[in-house]
Parts: sequence; C-alpha cells; structure tokens
Amino acid sequence: MQLKRRLEAGEFTLLAEIEPPKGVNISPMIDNAAKVKEDITAFVIPEMSNAVMRMSALGSAMMLQNKRMETIMQVCCRDRNRIALQADLLSAYACGIENIMAVTGEDPSYGDHHQAAAVYDITIDDLLTAVTELQAGRDMAGIELDGKPDFFMGATANAGLSGNELDREADAAKRKIDAGVRFLITPPVFVPDAIEPFVKKLADRDVFVIPTVVLLKSVGMARYMARNMPNVHIPDELIQKIQKAPDKTKECTHVAVETVRALKAARFSGALIATIGWEHKLPDIIHGIK
Amino acid sequence: MIIAEKKPIEEIIGYVDDCGKLLILGCNECVTVCEAGGKKEVGILASALRMYFLNQGREVKIDEITLERQCDHEYLEEIRDVADQYDAIVSLACGVGVQFVAEKYHSQRVYPGVNTCFLGATEERGRWSERCQACGTCILAYTGGICPIARCAKRLLNGPCGGSSNGKCEVNPELDCAWQLIIDRLKALGRLEDYEKLLEIKDWSTDRAGGPRKVVREDLQI
Repeated sequence: MQLKRRLEAGEFTLLAEIEPPKGVNISPMIDNAAKVKEDITAFVIPEMSNAVMRMSALGSAMMLQNKRMETIMQVCCRDRNRIALQADLLSAYACGIENIMAVTGEDPSYGDHHQAAAVYDITIDDLLTAVTELQAGRDMAGIELDGKPDFFMGATANAGLSGNELDREADAAKRKIDAGVRFLITPPVFVPDAIEPFVKKLADRDVFVIPTVVLLKSVGMARYMARNMPNVHIPDELIQKIQKAPDKTKECTHVAVETVRALKAARFSGALIATIGWEHKLPDIIHGIK
Repeated sequence: MIIAEKKPIEEIIGYVDDCGKLLILGCNECVTVCEAGGKKEVGILASALRMYFLNQGREVKIDEITLERQCDHEYLEEIRDVADQYDAIVSLACGVGVQFVAEKYHSQRVYPGVNTCFLGATEERGRWSERCQACGTCILAYTGGICPIARCAKRLLNGPCGGSSNGKCEVNPELDCAWQLIIDRLKALGRLEDYEKLLEIKDWSTDRAGGPRKVVREDLQI
C-alpha cells in the first residue's frame, strides 16, 4: 500500500490515469502502465468515465494488481445499485485492491449508450458511508461480514469553482472527508493558484489534495476547455505558447511536465497525470519531470 | 391519475411546529379522487393540527383553501394575495403541485402533506394500483393493453420470468404476474401472435435516463 504510505510520509506522489480498453485487448493498457510503474505510485482506473462503456474498473484494476502495479479503483453510483456496489467492493479488496475512489458518474446521455437507464440507487455520500460500514464489518443491511476490507478511500472535488459554488463544493468535500475520504482528486489544473482558495477552505481537515494534470493534445483542446469548463483556468499565455510552438504535441507534453513541477513546488500532495487515451505519452512526461 | 398517500401527522408537525400561522392547501384533482389531499383531507389535517397545538397550549391560526389544481399557474394565482401572510404552506397536492407552489411563492416555506406514490387507477374505493411509469415510450399496443414496465416487478419485456407461478408474481403472491395477464388478454383477443413478436431493448432515454423531461408543443404555444 505505497500510496497511503507515501502520502502520509509527505512525499510528492505521482498517479497516472489508465483508461481500460473498449474490448478485451488488455495489452496496450498493461504495457503503457508497465513502462512507468517505477515512477507512478498508483494507477487510477476510471469506471467508464463519461458513461462510455468499457472494461470495468474492477477487472482492469485486478489485471494491473496481478502485474504488481498498485491501483486506485473508481467506484461509480451510476451503473450499480447498493447490492452490486458492495459486492464489487468486497471482490476488489479480496483481489488486492486497497485504494478506491468514489464518484457519482456522468449521466448516460453523455456517453455511447444513450438509451441506458442510470441506476443512482445511492448517493456518493451513502456510498462513502457504506464503505465505512463494510470496514466496520457490516453491510448496508447491517449484516455481519466474514472478513472486513480496509480501504484507503478517495473522492473527487471540483476545486476550481469560485464564489458560492466554491463554498458549496468545500462543504461537500468536508462531508466526504468526515465520511472517511483521505484524498481528493481535482479536475485539470494548469495553475496551482487556481485551486488555492479551495485548499484553504479545507485547512481544518486532514486530507491529501491531488490535482489532475491533463495532457493537452492540441491548441483546439486547450481553447475548448478554457471556453467550456468554467472550473478549469487555462491562462491565455499558455494557449498562445502552444500555438507558437513548432512542435505542438511536444509543447503540450512540456506544459504537463511544468504543471507537475509547479504543483510539487506549491507543496501539493501529488499529481494525477491524465493523458486521456494517450497513455503511450506517459514515459515522456515522467522523463521530463525527473 | 396520480396516487398519493397522506403523510403521518407527526411528520407534518415536525415541519410546522414553529409556525404561528399556517395554510393547508388542497387540490381538487387526483389527490381528491384518491382521498389524500382534497377539501375533505384539508379539513381533517387542519383539525388534527389545531388539536395538537391546543394540547400544546399554543394558538396557531390554520386556514384551509382547496384549489382546482396546483399544477397550473392560473389556479395558483388565487392565493397570490394571501400566500405571504402565512409562516408556511402545507400542500396536499402531489409532488408536482408542491413544487409549483414553491416555485411560484419563492420566499414562502412550502411543505408536502402527502407522499406521491404512482400513476394508477382505482380498483375499488380505498384500493389503488399502479398502471403506468410514464416511461415516455408506450408499448401497450403490443402487450394487450397491459404494461409490463409498470406491472412486472422486473419490468421484463418478452414474457414472464421463472418466478411466475399460478398467475402470480414471485415478489408478492397477491400480485398478478403481468405477463400472465398479457398472455391471457392476447389469447382472448385472438392476437397471441403478438406474444411471439420480440420487443426491442428498452430505450430508457425517454424515461429518466436523460434527466428531467419536458414536453414542448410549439403548435400550442402563443
């Protein structure tokens, strides 16, 4: 359980997101993770992010764990009811997955199965409570378990908000922390200062805030995010820098590297590198950070 | 119609215990028919609350109004002049009415006096059962006018599960198996061939999968 150990020891911790395959060819997923396993403390395995059907986080995390790579398995309220969520949590722990990250999950209308019925049987707060209950040796029905799990639990926090929305998000984050969350993953951050107000609001709580560093793929992607994601601050200068660069892909990698360095300098607990399908670029980013 | 059940009086007291002036607001539509929130139930709840406050030695003014509907602007306007005179309004309409009152009288405390249960029919006085889940894609034409979405515990689309026994559902022995009802009715109609037609995988996007729904009829809009 190096994730917990490193975070608690105050060491800057690098995480990487590894998207499970859409299909059963697991080789690229395993190979991409294996190439950087020495430098990545744990791999975050999303549970069908954006409601796009893929291999489950449980299955993918198990495969990486079998190759001795630590994972953080996402647990999502969208697709499973309380029975299935608890069953998967027990399965995960028995298979060696000790880090989990609870998410609500996007509506199916975001994804590739628009006609699917969303479950949302329990809320994320209920899920966190359920995990705590499982750890105490009881399921949500109060029935005693034969062997209890012991997870290191995280969640997400929309840290880039402002005004009233930021207050609400900070309150929600505090609820999650009080329910047992030890680390919070933020949306993409390009300037550490952008989430400083959020971090300050959590000063009275014991939690590790881990910003996401997203690998931009183009100027268009940067512009799109700047225009459409009010919770993500991308400075104009950064977009112009990529625009002027002769090798834009290389510049995007450089931006990710510099962002990780800036987060480390700002004394964040770590960073989650999200390459969104470009996991083969992870070694370049890691090389740059070193 | 929308079927609702009265909330326990203790729950309503919990909402309004600090109030000095209350309006109990009934609705003349569905909740009147299912005897949960019409004029009669408004009177019963108001009397019960008066007794409670009297026992507490407190003077609370409780008014009773029943509107034709609470889900239409024009009827809700009827309380425009009095709405803000109360510390709270207890609406005995379905959840739609409660929300519409709350939307219209934004700064007023509005509480539900009933639990909204389902879209159903009156089997006999005092007995209502579910008939429709408002899924947005009606398949009654293929199922003999009996809805498996609303009436099959598993919402199965192409015949009964293994739990159907003597025409009853495994979930509750008093519950008819919806698919047994469908088969019997198709047989009676001489349309058993409809049973052989496979219904496609359900499109839940017209249900709740796409979030809250809206129907817009531009031909009716002014």
